[in-house]
Amino acid sequence: MSFEKQLNIIDYSLSSIWRRRVKSMGVMVVFAAVIFLLASFQMTTKALTNVARDTLVSAPEITVQKMRAGRQESIPVAYQTELVSIRGIKTITPRIWGYYFHETKGANLTILGLDPQSMPFGQDLGQAIDSGRLPNEHEAVLGQGAYAYLSSPGSAMFSLFRPDLTLKALTVSGTFKASTDLLTYDTLFMSLADAQDLFLMPEGMVTDLCVTVANPTEVPTISKKIAALLPDTRVVTRQQIQKTYQAVFGWRSGFASICLLTALASFIIFAWDKASGLTPEEKKEISILKIIGWQTSDVLALRFWEGLIVSTVSFLVGYTLAYVHVAFFEAGLFRPILIGWSVLHPALRLLPTIDLGETLLVLCLTVVPYLAATVIPAWRSAIIPADSALN
Amino acid sequence: MTAPLIELEKVCKTYNQGQLNEVKALHDVSLAIEPGVMVCLQGASGSGKSTLLSIIGCVFPPTSGRAAIAGKQLARMPDRFLTIHRRNTIGFIFQHFNILPGLTVLENITLPLMPLGIAPRARKERAERLMGMLSISHRANFPARQISGGELQRVAIARALINDPPIILADEPTAHLDHTLSLAFMEIMQELQRAGKTIILTSHDALITQHPAVERIIAIQDGEIHVP
Repeated sequence: MSFEKQLNIIDYSLSSIWRRRVKSMGVMVVFAAVIFLLASFQMTTKALTNVARDTLVSAPEITVQKMRAGRQESIPVAYQTELVSIRGIKTITPRIWGYYFHETKGANLTILGLDPQSMPFGQDLGQAIDSGRLPNEHEAVLGQGAYAYLSSPGSAMFSLFRPDLTLKALTVSGTFKASTDLLTYDTLFMSLADAQDLFLMPEGMVTDLCVTVANPTEVPTISKKIAALLPDTRVVTRQQIQKTYQAVFGWRSGFASICLLTALASFIIFAWDKASGLTPEEKKEISILKIIGWQTSDVLALRFWEGLIVSTVSFLVGYTLAYVHVAFFEAGLFRPILIGWSVLHPALRLLPTIDLGETLLVLCLTVVPYLAATVIPAWRSAIIPADSALN
Repeated sequence: MTAPLIELEKVCKTYNQGQLNEVKALHDVSLAIEPGVMVCLQGASGSGKSTLLSIIGCVFPPTSGRAAIAGKQLARMPDRFLTIHRRNTIGFIFQHFNILPGLTVLENITLPLMPLGIAPRARKERAERLMGMLSISHRANFPARQISGGELQRVAIARALINDPPIILADEPTAHLDHTLSLAFMEIMQELQRAGKTIILTSHDALITQHPAVERIIAIQDGEIHVP
């Protein structure tokens, strides 16, 4: 009987929402927009973190960089001879990782110089190449964004300035797959010798040494051993890089979420105002319902169901739009905020995931406050004396 | 002799008791109404007529005195039980009918059944029976705002009867009706009386006060029953 009663009240709630469709639609549109913004941020952050995690799988397990006065400087390739003594290290690969500011385009390009043949994960890099092959001398593999900036019709060649303003010519030997865009979009991958030449680095000097280990569980131990053996170096593990990415996305998303929560709070205040300010028609309706036998609890249930229907529909619409926005429109509204400072923003293929915990979080941040904001003031309307219908 | 259906003994009602704006609406009102009669409450505006109707209608209990409606004492009855008793015992017909204009005729009539947990089909069956009796079946799915005053009046009667209550209270039911509709209303009331319902009307309208079906007129003045 109680179940039937609730069904009847839900039935009446639906008809009540329909009768006030202009007001209800207005609230639903604003509410869905707030949920859309919150869920978009949450999904974009999650998708970016996933892309970063997937892309970093092929990154070296340990990176060793030389430090002086708290700043990074070139590391001698000869340092690798000292590392050979550490048991558990599988390979050591010298690498140049630097940035090149392209004045004409106003963009920072990432230069990656290493000898693919000498790398155990050279094969992985090869798999990341969409078209073409690994670079030989005076050749480079370009990320999608870098290729769009540097390539010219009918020619595979392009030139970059050395620090002494002489030109270095390179030929495009291939491009990276779009799926690796988060890390490769603005990247130029070339041989170690070409990178040294581009930056005019002394022979035998690189920016870092990439270390792989036989047993991944030993990465922390081996990192400590490297740091002890080479005290003037900074030892960075893949896990640390991953955490940094998460922290950066998390911070940006958190900052934006605070701004959005402000918008949500404004909406809740608006909803409270709407729910507590009853029109004379609404007051009359409640007094009629009460005098013909509706209990105060029935009227409260009516307002609760109305709030739940409005907020649930808004939630579903907002969440679906957020999914479509991230999955099919590459989170176009928030990419500049979340992806970062680079002028060349990667054109990522983001795959949003629906995480139960995070969905519940958005639900708790939106639907629950809305229900509270509408049901609590509804108490005031529910206690309207029944005899007011007689006057 | 039949036991009274409505029995008031030294009933008083004071609004805002103990405050500066205290109003004594009823003083020591005593009356008894037997089942199956038609009674008219008469009195000027502010005489306490609506307060008396509210107590008989189980809308609120008296401040003091004894009020027994359909065998139940109202004094100190919690609001929740008062509502249940009102739902089962009283059918209200309001001055302006108080029909919700956005709902259909059928929805308006079945409104009192909703909190009882009665399924839609059963609600519809009950309403159809009453709509047939009152000749408004053809308007069942019309929004109430689209029907005529006479039809509106019959919708209000159907809503008052949907729970099959033994008592019908009608507050100034003909105040906004023309002569023909007022006459039609009284005919329906007379039929209901014949069917055993107890009918209490408030009115100044001579058509009601002098209607042959009205067996008794109770005059109220300054919160007291006035005996001429």
